Amino acid sequence: MNADVRCPGSLAELWPLLEDGFAVMAGGTDLLARRGAPGRVACLERIAGLQGIREEEGLLRMGACETHSRLLRHPLTASGLPVLARALSVLGSPLVRNMGTIGGNIVTASPAGDTLPPLYALDAVVELASRQGTRRVPLDGFILGPGRTALGEGEIVSAVLARIPAAGEVQHFEKVGRRKALAISVVSLAAVLRLDGSGTVASARLALGSVGPTVLRCPRAEAMLTGRRLDRETLLAVGETLREEISPIDDLRATAAYRRTVAGNLPLRLAV
Amino acid sequence: MSKAVGAERFSTDIAPPGCLWAGARRAGVPHARVVAVHTREARALPGVVAVLTGADVPGANLQGIVHKDQPVLVTDTVRHAGDAVALVLAESREALAGALSLIRTELVPLPGVFDPEQALAPGAPLVHSGREGGNLLAHALVEKGDAPSAFAGCDVVVEGRFETPMQEHAFLEPPNGTARMTRDGGIEMTASTQAPFRDRFEIGHALGLNPMRVRVRAPYLGGGFGGKDGATVQCLLALAALHGGGRWVKMCWSRGETFLAGYKRHAARVRVRLGASRQGTLQALDCAMLFDSGPYAHLAVEIMALAMEHAGGPYLIPHTRIEGSCAYTNNPVGGAFRGFGVAQASFAVERAMDSLAQRLGMDPAELRLKNALRPGDLNCAGVPMESPAGAAECLEAVMAHPAWKERDAWKAQAPACKRRGVGIAASFNAMGYGRGLPDAAAAKLELTKGGTFRVFNSVPDMGQGNAAAFALMAAEALNQETAAIEVVQPDTRLCLPAGSSSASRTTYTFGNALLKACGAMREKLKARAALFLLADEPDRLAIRPGAVVDEATGRSVSLSQIGSMLQRDDRICIDQFVMPVVENPPDTGKEFRLGFPHRMYSHGACVCAVEADELTGQVELVRCVTAVECGRVFDSLGVERQVQGAAAQGAGFALLEDLHVEEGLIRADGLDRYLIPTALDLPPLECVSVEGDEPTGPHGLKGMGEVGVHGPAPAVAQALEDAVGLVARRLPVNPQEVLEAMGGEKP
Repeated sequence: MNADVRCPGSLAELWPLLEDGFAVMAGGTDLLARRGAPGRVACLERIAGLQGIREEEGLLRMGACETHSRLLRHPLTASGLPVLARALSVLGSPLVRNMGTIGGNIVTASPAGDTLPPLYALDAVVELASRQGTRRVPLDGFILGPGRTALGEGEIVSAVLARIPAAGEVQHFEKVGRRKALAISVVSLAAVLRLDGSGTVASARLALGSVGPTVLRCPRAEAMLTGRRLDRETLLAVGETLREEISPIDDLRATAAYRRTVAGNLPLRLAV
Repeated sequence: MSKAVGAERFSTDIAPPGCLWAGARRAGVPHARVVAVHTREARALPGVVAVLTGADVPGANLQGIVHKDQPVLVTDTVRHAGDAVALVLAESREALAGALSLIRTELVPLPGVFDPEQALAPGAPLVHSGREGGNLLAHALVEKGDAPSAFAGCDVVVEGRFETPMQEHAFLEPPNGTARMTRDGGIEMTASTQAPFRDRFEIGHALGLNPMRVRVRAPYLGGGFGGKDGATVQCLLALAALHGGGRWVKMCWSRGETFLAGYKRHAARVRVRLGASRQGTLQALDCAMLFDSGPYAHLAVEIMALAMEHAGGPYLIPHTRIEGSCAYTNNPVGGAFRGFGVAQASFAVERAMDSLAQRLGMDPAELRLKNALRPGDLNCAGVPMESPAGAAECLEAVMAHPAWKERDAWKAQAPACKRRGVGIAASFNAMGYGRGLPDAAAAKLELTKGGTFRVFNSVPDMGQGNAAAFALMAAEALNQETAAIEVVQPDTRLCLPAGSSSASRTTYTFGNALLKACGAMREKLKARAALFLLADEPDRLAIRPGAVVDEATGRSVSLSQIGSMLQRDDRICIDQFVMPVVENPPDTGKEFRLGFPHRMYSHGACVCAVEADELTGQVELVRCVTAVECGRVFDSLGVERQVQGAAAQGAGFALLEDLHVEEGLIRADGLDRYLIPTALDLPPLECVSVEGDEPTGPHGLKGMGEVGVHGPAPAVAQALEDAVGLVARRLPVNPQEVLEAMGGEKP
């Protein structure tokens, strides 16, 4: 089996390859680890338009081929999006972070994808590019199920744009895995909360990983949190609601019951 | 150094140009009758040289170190999912993969048995039909005193049932090798093996070949841990070579195949009753152990023997009754793994000690220290402990360590949402093969023409560093720089016979043989130098780096001069060593012909500190301190690294490693799902050496490759009980159990 690997230098060079049925690779840490990797691969890493991290109309625009390490090191992520930075810091292992890209993490569409709960909690939007141009769709509408996305024929993810929370918003991420590196998350929670001057939650965004077919936002729990303070009693009640909103499964890593319990416990880490 | 710079050639690095590739088709089902194996399509694929089935295997077609019951290629029955049903030789890896996928098997599934207790129940499906004894592979009894009566006199009796799981070795280098048929119809092979000298006989028996026409080389191994103690690729590769027309054939298992077909640490169930006086003096032990052998005996009986010999831990218990069984099942094949049965026994007896300490209201460390075996005491199998016997010293060493001494303060400082606990355990591990199987090695040492020395090492270095220790030993014994010592890795044609790289025996047994050979070499060097120096009293000569010197006259002769003057025969010194055995073996354990009991043991104690998260049940091993007594320490760095590696494997056994075997199939069938600890999951693994001195050992040392693996599992279990009240009886402990022990969510 001789693999046909192409590294187009521009989007213009990429489109014909996609039309020829080449599989797209952006980092490859998931793709190459799969048993039976594709024989024809188009690597996206050399396409300049898929790189770059910059602020754009109050959003942070992250090129799809930015690696996890580069994102993690970038001052705009580190200072503006600690919820994402925290997730990046526990993603895979240093080696995976050097190779893997944020676009790849999105298109893999695993409910355990570590960057996804923060992106969901930040109301991220994905930018899709094709020969016809670009379009933007909300991340939670883009990911349809495990490994399934709304990516059209001949289309790639070119960037992801996340809201930059205002200073003072509470940003929290926790990944529960079976070990500290190279472990798929068993449950993860991302929270982005805006508090008013008195410590009352003005708005809440909660997203959980590995407890459903996709990363889940939990609107009932978010609503319950809004207007309340981050006290233990509230967080216990929020946890109870979270448990009702998720649909975890049993697998080798954990039972559904454990995931449900832990998912409801994790908000307690926010107790003040 | 060659390993550090990547220059060392491992068996996997060898791929002779134009070599053929061999691979096995595995059954994939745990129990089935073989109706047919269709190979026509595979044979027709371009690049395929041969497709062989059980019918093509000459000789007995049976492998097994002691009990020969494992076919090279199955003929009529598949007994576990990893059984090989066909062997393919091809010009390329692509052709090999293609052919393997084209082999069609007609298998009629048979009801399987996947639980050792159910395997022994009447009416259970038979793994080996028509076998007398059914699925009971072996049963044995070890007794001392009168345990049944002694329990009546105990003030306190505790009882528990414990389970330890299968464990995967997860060595980095998969089983692999290259082989070809020689012109005279023999086989030459390079393989990643722990036992090249035994492999010859294994191959010879299985394939009906003259073992002396089988040559096996064993370069450095990229890990073994027991998983390469026994045939992995050897017989398949030799069979392939017989059909390779004299061309080299290479076989290298994938990680998936290694999980599927490789040996595992035996899963065990252990029932323990332990009785003591009110003061905490142990009086009686009643223990029943059951091992899951998988479908073949391999080393199950010998592993059970060692487990039973260690069932009482490093403690003085006057009355013992230890019963052991091992059962055939359709699970993966059980085999050797660092700790060889002792890991299973240790967990059970240490957990029983914990519950005894609790019942007595005693400190678990004090209870252990009070009962620790001292020189002259009889262990649970009735073997007198010879000097040194450092269980007490090891316990004292870890009890004096801040990790234990300052545990109350440390626990009190637990951060929010965390609970902390500290546990302690003691262990011992026999060294060598034990009675019935001579633990021998012969060493060959050559003075080269250039005046340096070549050690012909006979026991593979699987990463434990014995080869480096041999270089150091020879350098010291011959008063040379280590750079003047070359160590030739095992080659059955060049090196002299020795046992396997296993049983914590290598440095002790081969080291003794080597030191004797070095002694002979010193005498030889002086005698030959005397001719040059006209010294009629060779004893007055001294060996210096690169030369022999006559201090009386100030004259010297270089070793290269001596070397260049001697015939090769005269440049070689050979000697051998056979490990001493228990002189008056106790009158028990008669079922064991091989490997029971042992005369020497290394000792260990371990303190583990853990932090459990109240919200997730995740457990972090925060400290792990292991003390070992292994005679005198020859190479402290070597000892430390062995202890660290062993402790890491013990930590994995305690908290992570789970193959998820269901109906004979491994669900965690790769390193992505079977989780071993990473560097981030381990604290600094501290090692404290307690000085001993084994009079029969080279430089007073005892083997210690295994003793460090036993501590973490029971110490972590005790630490968790301390932290969250979880009474762990089964490994690995998972976060769900820990969380449940804390009451689910925090109240």
